[in-house]
Amino acid sequence: MIPAAVGDVSLVVAVLFSLLGLLAAVAAWYSRDARYIQMAKRAALVSFLGTLAAFAALEWALLSDDFSVIYVASNSTRANPTWVKFATLWAALEGSILLWALFQTLYTWLAGRRMRDYWISPVALGTLFVIQLFFLVNVLFVINPFIVLPHPPSDGPGPNPLLQNHWMMAVHPILMYLGFVGLSVPFAYAIAAMWTRRYQTWVTETKWWLIIAWGFLTAAIYAGGWWSYEVLGWGGYWGWDPVENASFIPWLLATAFLHTAMVQERRGLFRTWNFALVTLAFAATVFGTFLTRSGVIESVHAFAGGPVGPIFLSFLLVILAVGFGLLGRVSSEVRDVGAVQPLSREGLLLFGALVLVTMAFVVILGTLFPLLVEAFNGAKVSVGAPFFNQLFVPLGYLLLLLMGLGPVLPWRRAEPETLRVVVWMAIALVLGTALGLVVGWTLWVSLTVGFVLFNLVALGWLSFGPALRRARATGASPLKTFFSQFAHSHRRFGGYTVHLGVIVAALAISFSQSYRLDVQKTLDIGQKWNVVGRDIVVHKLRLVREPYRDSVVADVEVSGLGVAHPRLNYYRSSQTPFASPAVTYTWLKDYYLVLQAFDQEKGSWVTLRLVVTPLVLWLWISAGIIIFGTLLILWPTAAPVAGSEVSREAAI
Amino acid sequence: MNVRSLIGLLVVLALGVLFWWGMQTKDQRSELPTALAGRQAPTFEMELLDAYTGKWGQKLNLGDYLGKKPIVLNFWASWCTVCYEEASVVEAAWRRWGKQVMFVGVDTQDERSKGNEFVARFGLTFPNVYDPRGKIGIDYGMYGVPETFVISRAGKVVERHAGAVDAPTLEKMIREVLK
Amino acid sequence: MKRWLLVLLLLAVPVAAQTVGNQPPPDYSPKVFEIAKKLRCPVCRGESAAESNAGVTQEMRRQIAEMLKEGKSEDEIIQYFVDRYTNWILYEPPKKGLGLVVWLAPVLGLLIFGLGFYAYTRAAAQREAAMVDVDDAEIARVEAELEERSRSGGKS
Repeated sequence: MIPAAVGDVSLVVAVLFSLLGLLAAVAAWYSRDARYIQMAKRAALVSFLGTLAAFAALEWALLSDDFSVIYVASNSTRANPTWVKFATLWAALEGSILLWALFQTLYTWLAGRRMRDYWISPVALGTLFVIQLFFLVNVLFVINPFIVLPHPPSDGPGPNPLLQNHWMMAVHPILMYLGFVGLSVPFAYAIAAMWTRRYQTWVTETKWWLIIAWGFLTAAIYAGGWWSYEVLGWGGYWGWDPVENASFIPWLLATAFLHTAMVQERRGLFRTWNFALVTLAFAATVFGTFLTRSGVIESVHAFAGGPVGPIFLSFLLVILAVGFGLLGRVSSEVRDVGAVQPLSREGLLLFGALVLVTMAFVVILGTLFPLLVEAFNGAKVSVGAPFFNQLFVPLGYLLLLLMGLGPVLPWRRAEPETLRVVVWMAIALVLGTALGLVVGWTLWVSLTVGFVLFNLVALGWLSFGPALRRARATGASPLKTFFSQFAHSHRRFGGYTVHLGVIVAALAISFSQSYRLDVQKTLDIGQKWNVVGRDIVVHKLRLVREPYRDSVVADVEVSGLGVAHPRLNYYRSSQTPFASPAVTYTWLKDYYLVLQAFDQEKGSWVTLRLVVTPLVLWLWISAGIIIFGTLLILWPTAAPVAGSEVSREAAI
Repeated sequence: MNVRSLIGLLVVLALGVLFWWGMQTKDQRSELPTALAGRQAPTFEMELLDAYTGKWGQKLNLGDYLGKKPIVLNFWASWCTVCYEEASVVEAAWRRWGKQVMFVGVDTQDERSKGNEFVARFGLTFPNVYDPRGKIGIDYGMYGVPETFVISRAGKVVERHAGAVDAPTLEKMIREVLK
Repeated sequence: MKRWLLVLLLLAVPVAAQTVGNQPPPDYSPKVFEIAKKLRCPVCRGESAAESNAGVTQEMRRQIAEMLKEGKSEDEIIQYFVDRYTNWILYEPPKKGLGLVVWLAPVLGLLIFGLGFYAYTRAAAQREAAMVDVDDAEIARVEAELEERSRSGGKS
């Protein structure tokens, strides 16, 4: 009761101050008075604090089992552990949109704090206020989680058991929303840039926001994959499910934009494309939410619809209309001047963006294709993993090729001496592929090995080449020179690190997709099963009782790797048991065990599914490498003197 | 407005219309037409639930009726909550048209004791076979219980209804095969 | 009217991951899962028959195993399911008719966006070649902006 009132009042405060902020931004634009900008920035802080209070109120209701609040009554249950109750806030639609609103207000406030440009600030802030108002108004009026039930139940059904089954499900949405929301800042700056007709500098000003958003999106996609692998029990990390695709499309577009933004920064080219790309990337975050929440395309994790579908659809169309409408108005002015050589850094960045945009196009078309066909002739078709996997293999090679070549080439035009390393890279490609074929790997896997070596040579040359040359010239130790260069230009090395992570991921994906073994066998307790060079023995079957679930756990020994505990969890809220697989990682392959069935009468046999997949551990390692690289890029260059506003501004 | 903006506008509009249509029709679209429509109905021979062995024997062979009488084939299971809604509807229809139309129920992927309880609870008098594996369901391209198929006098599948069937719908389906 | 259907489909699989009558499911070779991966789970939407643990998919895997034992080829087994569930059961759209459009998506994408990029960069290069000309509209715009700036500059 009290949390609901607090929540509603906080939301009203947040909405009112967002409106105030919007008005202040408009006033700042028309009056050209900087005090209004100050006012808008303060309003952003208050509306963030208001949304934070609403978030806290809902957490309060969830943690205190206040079943008079509709969201608690329909999504929580008393017996759940505290962390599940806490994470229940974003387990269903209303709460997730509240979380989204919270992050949006946070980003608006933070972005506002860093806005210095007298022209762009009012429009960028105003755009952010409009975006956050969309979410806040929806939470307050359309899908309010704080509605008070006149007859509160004594207990609720609890959230989807998939959420309770693994803590990663609690982390994944947070990363995803932080990434989605992060893209709103570059979008707002782009709108402001088109509005104020300052077409060049906005990419530099929003570069950090873009990289932060990209980092969170990447982490979120990895977290989702890891969750799929560890929880869903089929031994895969990516299923090309519409929900997964919905998170992948913004990532692809943001990655493309990240690269073309570099060209604009450096040479002032691709400016129209960048406006279009950033609009599409931000629209894709809303598009993804629309796809998964509206029921337009069915999916396992899709939540039941409600009024959200049409609302998000309208928001999506408004974003596209505003972005492209403004671009259409100014496009005759945003004229790039300058030639692009195909064999130059910017030429290859352009090709790379082309491949990434094409990938996004394939994912969008593939995801929507069943809907399109049905609208066209009423037939039902399915588009799934086998389709996407086949098409992404050639596109992936194209990307690996460009990824290796691009950073090696200089801006503007290729010089003959840079071509020497390209020769070495080509040799590595051929040798790697040949080696793979000799070992007996498939053509595709061998090609991946070749491309990985191709990229490694490029990255090695880029990372160590300058240090070696300089050390030779100065006579200093090469290692020392390398570290001093690393410290000095850590951003460049951050980029290389991210690329290194991507090629490790490519290797892991290629092997794990090509050499997967999937078997199922029923074993008596104590019976030895010799498979893929290991002995597997089930020692015991036991029942584990917890307040919110019962579990049947099998103690399975994999020779040389210890005892694994695959289990079946029976949640109070669901009649269906959920299998929790047990994964034993080794450097080269994983032993993934799922408890499929067991003898319910005497406990004398169990049916196990064993999935052996190579290099999955390296996929998770690649996530670490990419995130480390992203942090290197984001790490401030020179530590600003404390309290010195001037030096910080200079750093930006 | 130049050509490019026009194309962009049209694409956005087309997407909007497509999604709008998708949202409006999402409920109808979740139903699949049967692949078997107009084709010979697959036959099967299955054990009957306990209540029927006295009158119909241990096993029921659908082939004995295919091509002789129209057939209503009803898939259900005791663990399916909406099946409880439709059981009495199907029983009432059997009592009304049982002379002209054969009714066969298929208890799918169930435990035998629970299936027996289910038929006793609703007093189902038409024969119900027990299909623990759900083999017949796959033969009929079933995608979820409950589903109801009507088969013509010639032994061809005419129509499928997915989800709990109500009395008017079932009557319409039966009249279709009685024509 | 059919709002509940999807909900039902998601809920109505309680025998999943457990067998009926306490009989163990049969042992499966990797080939079974390979074939099952190409078929979609009819009740779950978004999962393949290799991934899902719904009752139907368990039976599908069992039938695949049985047909393999009978010596049927992969194509025959897949055709068996297509006969019962239409092409909808396949996770790969057919490579003919309308299905061809989605299979050609990468080519289409590369072509459309590639032509766009080409036209764009060529125009930019031509503009560089013809740098000397600044059209009147541009000059007027710059002048207007400068004027506006000098007007509002005093306020800040």
